[in-house]
Amino acid sequence: MQRSATSGIIGKLAELNWLLPVLIAMVGAIGVVAIYSATGGKWNSGASQHLTRLLVGLVFMVVIALTDIRVWFTIAYPGFIFALILLIGVELFGVTVNGAQRWLDLGVMRIQPSELMKLAAVLALARFYHDLPAWRVSKPVGGFGALFIVFVPLALILRQPDLGTGIMLAITGVTLIFLAGINWRVIISSVTLAAIAIPLFFIFGLKDYQRTRILTFLNPEHDPTGASYHIIQSKIALGSGGVSGKGFMEGSQASLKYVPENRTDFIFTVIGEEFGLIGGLGTMFLYILIISVCFWLASQIKQTFSQLLIMGLTMTFSLYVLINLAMIMGLAPVVGVPLPLISYGGTVMMTVLAGFGMILSAHLHNEVELPRASGLLL
Amino acid sequence: MSKQDDNTKTINRRAALLGIGGLGAFSVLAGRLYYLQVTRAEDYKVLSDNNRFNFNTVLPERGQIVDRNGVALATNKQDFRLVLVPERVNDIDATLARINKILPLEKSKRKRIKRDIKSKAKFIPVLVDEQIDWRVFSRLNIKMPDLPGVIPIEGKARNYPHHGTFAHVLGYVGKPSPRALKNDKDTLLRQPTFRMGKTGIEQSHDQALRGKAGRKKVEVNAVGRTVREWDDDKIPAAAGTDIWLTLDSELQSYAAGLFKEESGGVAVMDVTTGELRTLLSMPVFDNNLFVSGLSVAQFKKLDTDPKRPQFNKVIGGGYPPASTFKMVVMLAALAHNVIEPSDKIFCTGKTFIGNRDFHCWRRSGHGLVNMQQALQQSCDVYFYEIIQRLGMDKVKPFAEKLGLGQIFKLGLGGQTRGIIPDPQWKLDRLGSKWRTGDSLNASIGQGFVVTTPLQLTVMTARIANARMAVSPLLVVGDKLDAAQALDINPEHLRIVQNAMRAVCEEPGGTAYLPNGLGLLGIELAGKTGTGQVKGISTAERLSGVRDNKELPWKLRDHSIFVGYAPFENPRFAAGVLVEHGGSGAKLAADICRKVLAKALVRDGIGEMASPAGNN
Repeated sequence: MQRSATSGIIGKLAELNWLLPVLIAMVGAIGVVAIYSATGGKWNSGASQHLTRLLVGLVFMVVIALTDIRVWFTIAYPGFIFALILLIGVELFGVTVNGAQRWLDLGVMRIQPSELMKLAAVLALARFYHDLPAWRVSKPVGGFGALFIVFVPLALILRQPDLGTGIMLAITGVTLIFLAGINWRVIISSVTLAAIAIPLFFIFGLKDYQRTRILTFLNPEHDPTGASYHIIQSKIALGSGGVSGKGFMEGSQASLKYVPENRTDFIFTVIGEEFGLIGGLGTMFLYILIISVCFWLASQIKQTFSQLLIMGLTMTFSLYVLINLAMIMGLAPVVGVPLPLISYGGTVMMTVLAGFGMILSAHLHNEVELPRASGLLL
Repeated sequence: MSKQDDNTKTINRRAALLGIGGLGAFSVLAGRLYYLQVTRAEDYKVLSDNNRFNFNTVLPERGQIVDRNGVALATNKQDFRLVLVPERVNDIDATLARINKILPLEKSKRKRIKRDIKSKAKFIPVLVDEQIDWRVFSRLNIKMPDLPGVIPIEGKARNYPHHGTFAHVLGYVGKPSPRALKNDKDTLLRQPTFRMGKTGIEQSHDQALRGKAGRKKVEVNAVGRTVREWDDDKIPAAAGTDIWLTLDSELQSYAAGLFKEESGGVAVMDVTTGELRTLLSMPVFDNNLFVSGLSVAQFKKLDTDPKRPQFNKVIGGGYPPASTFKMVVMLAALAHNVIEPSDKIFCTGKTFIGNRDFHCWRRSGHGLVNMQQALQQSCDVYFYEIIQRLGMDKVKPFAEKLGLGQIFKLGLGGQTRGIIPDPQWKLDRLGSKWRTGDSLNASIGQGFVVTTPLQLTVMTARIANARMAVSPLLVVGDKLDAAQALDINPEHLRIVQNAMRAVCEEPGGTAYLPNGLGLLGIELAGKTGTGQVKGISTAERLSGVRDNKELPWKLRDHSIFVGYAPFENPRFAAGVLVEHGGSGAKLAADICRKVLAKALVRDGIGEMASPAGNN
């Protein structure tokens, strides 16, 4: 234990991994530029708000990073239960926006409990596997415990309905279960089961508009002005950008509003159209760097909770990026997942930066020993 | 704690697998990006430009129609219009109601707007209203943010500054009919504010007046709003050509004034070139009304007017030529040598043929008259006599040589051919035999004979010209058939000309006035005609209803006069018909004299005899 090194705030700041915040700030800056262009060169239509949120979020991230890992360790389960209650609250008293019930109106502010759940579920799962001895991971107790933590919130989120968040939560959860060391036999049998269940889910578990989106994705030329309009127009925007792009503020697709929601979910079309393949690959490279740094941080961690926490949050972030890009390039259905740090939108910015705060915190407090609970789930 | 626990080793191993999977996923995305932005780049560039640019049709300005001095008869006036694009309007009724608060729209207009919306594709703009007062228009402009899909347009509208004096010649413009849209593939016809010629010169010379559509390249956003215009790939619109008419607008307006409330027509023609200086049908209608679309009430008024303002009487009205036809009979008689000009015939006031009396207009008779006296006094009995020696079939060729019974290449629709009857015609048309009585009636231009005021003008011009069969010309530059020789003996024509001079310039002539034309040293030659609408019955004769004024308007005689001046070196010929105007010696002769005098003065030939007689 090197308590002296991790005690004072100054000392902690010195030990913090600064590469990650710098990369995050760079990607966030790309967001400011892209939003500025997408809104027709208006500073006040999103770009300035995005910059403010980025700066506030980065400070918020550092504060979380400096917070002792034991705080997050302790609130893992209560936090999960709190998030679950909020999700049930949405089910009962939620506010409907755009046909989906995602918001909870607390009078002073509206919150989106599904975003909170992205963090809370990862914390809870990390805590669960931290406490669970390795030999019980593939046992019924381990399996059902983890499934409970993943599927109860998943069911509530899909009911809202919020397909994008649901998919992300499911994949993150399954990834953590995989990482925790569940054995291959269980994995193979689960995959087989899923192969049977998914078609059934598609038929009975989805809303009409969700089904339409998936069908549209499979055959985008089917209805060029209707549901597949987003995909076709975003492909035109990217494709017409070419290698070097049309130049900053010169993108006609985006500025003429052919690509809808171009400062939020479809922001990458602006980058691709105006800065071409170079800009697109450059942005993707920065994301890969961020994710790689997180993997590298995770590899140095000595305790299960911290390691799974970093991996889970990294996974969530990676899924944002992958799903959004696949969607924009016409490789995945339009499910309403924003491009983190670049898309305009405060909630996702805060969720993602809070996540990075926890990743940094887990790394910073690697040497702090976390107790292994006994009795509760054994 | 300095060592990783067992779990973390597993996690690290499996994380490495995950990392490889993640890299794979990013590689797929990078490959996809490469495919879109490099392999397919060209295709998507084209699609992007298709999105971005539209080619909008630019309307050319319609050519003007001007008179012989360049005075505008049909021109284009600044016009404020409102159109709406149905697919961009959320609620048509609410939008119309909002517009109605500022710009009142009649019920019929609203109906028309809704019909247009239904009948056309949703992205084609529909006209809401035009010729909007600019104050109302600017108030509408302020309200535009509340009226999505409604577009204010400043354009040009056809305008006829003379308000109808040239309505029958010019015609008017209107929206292309469904048939025109089917037959004419010009993109211009698909423009909501385009107007094409519907009648008159506007129609016959529409291709030249219309001009050629231009186009401009505009950048449009996803909802179709024009963001900016581009200069490349732009084709300017070619304005339509101006059409010059041979008419003299001042002379025509003057002639219209002479008619006052009367109905009829007048033509003034250059006897050498055939150029029409005046071609007027009365009463006129304001053809501006047709451009904006006239209301039901306005249409009803026009349509039920007993004087039929829309009817082009000067070229389309078939009337008995009455005594003006006597020149034709005279020429035929001279050519066939059935009578010597000096031979005299005794007029008792009537001729008994078949089983009835044919009366002369002068009941007491003219006594002994020679040819010139017969025309000068318009003795009917004289012509009853010579037609019996001739036969109608010998008269018909002379009528045709003089331009009767034919249609001219004027570029105007609505001409009537008229009828120059002969025995064959009656047999074909009515299936009955020609009787002597028919010849007698025809000899004084009654019965089956039907001509138009323009035909009578052409006849007079040819008599005056004496060498060439001049044809009327209305549009400068219109191709005419090569002028034909008249092919009538000039000596015979001279006899007719002298007789026509005697009508106007010698005492005893039916149109004799001591002052004549009122011009110094210029003599008039002419002929009166009183066209019977209805034969006067024996009962009426007995009861003494003989005065035309006692009959209802519709049954009164047509007043007809043809003439030319100067008698020596003729310049202009004119034909006047006043519907139900009574004796030709009165209304028609008066108008004809004044119009000819004015024409000569304007041409620099005539000089007013007294300052009081101006205009």
